Amino acid sequence: MTDFLQLLFAGLSQGGVYALLAIGFVAIFTVSGVINLAQGEFAALGGLVAISARSSGMPLPLAAVVAVATVALAAVAMERLAISPVRRMTTLVSLILTLGISTALKALMLLVFGPDAEGLEAVTEGGATVAGVSIRYQDLWILGVAALVSAAVYWFYDRTLTGKALRACAEQPVAARLVGISLGRASLLSFLIAGVVGAIGGVLASPVYFTSWESGLTLGLKGFVAATLGGLVSVRGAVLGGLVLGVLETFTAGYISTGLRDAVAFLLLIVVLVVRPAGIFGRTAEARV
Amino acid sequence: MRRTTVQIALLAVTVLGVGACAESTESSASGPSGSATGPIKIGAILDITGAGASLGVPERQALELLDEQVQAAGGIKGRPVQLLIEDDQSTEDGAAKAMSKLVDQEKVDIVLGASRTGPSLAMKAVAESSSIPMISMAANQAIVQGSKWVFKSAQNDRVVIERMIDYMDEKGYSSIGLARDASGFGEGVQEMFDEVGADKGIKVKATERFAPDATDFTAQMVNLRDAKADVNVIWGIPPAAGLAQKAYRQLRDETPVMQSHGIGNQVFLDSAGADANGLVAPLGRLVVAGQLPADDPQRQVITTFVDEYTKKFGAGPSTFSGHAYDAWKLAVDALTAAGTDKAAVRDHLEQVKGYVGISGVFTMTPTDHSGLSADALKLVTVANGTWKLLDDPANG
Repeated sequence: MTDFLQLLFAGLSQGGVYALLAIGFVAIFTVSGVINLAQGEFAALGGLVAISARSSGMPLPLAAVVAVATVALAAVAMERLAISPVRRMTTLVSLILTLGISTALKALMLLVFGPDAEGLEAVTEGGATVAGVSIRYQDLWILGVAALVSAAVYWFYDRTLTGKALRACAEQPVAARLVGISLGRASLLSFLIAGVVGAIGGVLASPVYFTSWESGLTLGLKGFVAATLGGLVSVRGAVLGGLVLGVLETFTAGYISTGLRDAVAFLLLIVVLVVRPAGIFGRTAEARV
Repeated sequence: MRRTTVQIALLAVTVLGVGACAESTESSASGPSGSATGPIKIGAILDITGAGASLGVPERQALELLDEQVQAAGGIKGRPVQLLIEDDQSTEDGAAKAMSKLVDQEKVDIVLGASRTGPSLAMKAVAESSSIPMISMAANQAIVQGSKWVFKSAQNDRVVIERMIDYMDEKGYSSIGLARDASGFGEGVQEMFDEVGADKGIKVKATERFAPDATDFTAQMVNLRDAKADVNVIWGIPPAAGLAQKAYRQLRDETPVMQSHGIGNQVFLDSAGADANGLVAPLGRLVVAGQLPADDPQRQVITTFVDEYTKKFGAGPSTFSGHAYDAWKLAVDALTAAGTDKAAVRDHLEQVKGYVGISGVFTMTPTDHSGLSADALKLVTVANGTWKLLDDPANG
């Protein structure tokens, strides 16, 4: 039982990071149908900027803010320079485009930050043992902040006028434009959200999982799988998808074989796409956020 | 939405998968092909990016430093030296490709590398079939097993394990919990522990594996703890080895932890932090250079290298830069004595006797292309974030 709880907790922590990445995918996809393959790079960039800001002597909270702001800026710049100029954006075009951006970002990070993997210092070092389960304080930070951020994003879409406008773009783009909602601004805003949540995920994960120029690839893939588990259009689904994926991975590694760990995500993806294309939590298949 | 989700997901995964394979290659300058009078070409294939980056980068720095020194001294016997460094991205196919490029296109006279076992084994096949001398910097003795053209400068995993078993025997441990690297470095390690430990009654009780680029180790470490062995061995390279160490200690289990000789760099100390304190690992003398007795035969070579390296790069070398140093020195020594005739270089390498290097004192034989004994290793522990020579009778 102790092992079960220990693995469950480790999986939830990992899943919290996937969830944040998944929210980024959902935020952008619902507004413009763009699958942003550079989402993982947002997280890697966030972690790397935070690490170098911290090692240049900045206090940790400031370093985290600088990292999130840098990534937000990068995400906005990416939208303005590469996404919005494209006249007829289809999902296929977006995949190729964002893959190119992801590769360019990776090369840039390798040049600037070097090839080594590094870890940011934890918000709170150390951990505690509760009922035989050892808990890293950083895991609590990951879960707490992930919960807070998901709640905030959910509230934004559900309760604020701007959020509702974004949903309108997702559901009825033509009608949204008719009532005066700017699709361009909506897309920009969605990239901003994706950049911010991605960077938060990257900064939080760095102390436990380490960050390198190439860690965005795995994170991005897992985040994408998590988003797909939730049907790609629902924040709630994305968060649940992330947690489910994280826990399944750790259980597979613990009880079956560690070699299968990374296969879980893709097996799950295939099963869900065949059996429940609207996501494991989706009842209907219409666009929601 | 129904159909598009399926299509989009499949597209995304396909595209990302292709992207992962199509990473860029770092290539160095090319020049005219080798001959008996032109420049002497030394190729090096290192894990500069990817899982082995914490090994390959210091190795590259060491080679750059040594190359500079040879250039300043006017080359080898008046012939200029050209160093060609390739990045294998820590992959086997990357190493094989780089090897073919260096051998077929660049026509190098000797190849150094790779940093890790897997890529080195991939290069071995090319070296043997195209009869080109090669000096690997990796651990697994399979690299030089039955080889004609391949040598290596890092201590064999076998001598490392002998050292560890001796220590375990002295401490009265009889069962080992092993968490090993799932790539070439960890291949066959469990069998070797059982084989070497057989007459001392020491056996591996449980084995867990981790990918060299893994980031979460909770599952493996929980299983290791539950195995309740007398001592746990983590066999990997940083940062994975450091993260595994940290993950184990965070389970609040007091079983002693030993690590391999794959951890001799600052990245390990940084990634494991305070959780590294108290571990025991057999490492080359480099990390404890300042603590060696004055009469240690390697002391002079090591301190000179540490000083020069620190002066150039602003930080001290790791044991991996030491492996690169030895590979380079052995190569240059052979090229100086035998010229660029490949068979003569090979024969010279096989007859190396008593060469005092960073990783140990090398004596090669036709059946031993590694040349290092257990004496090349010291038992080292970590205290307050620095390496400490272990105060133990096993250290001699």
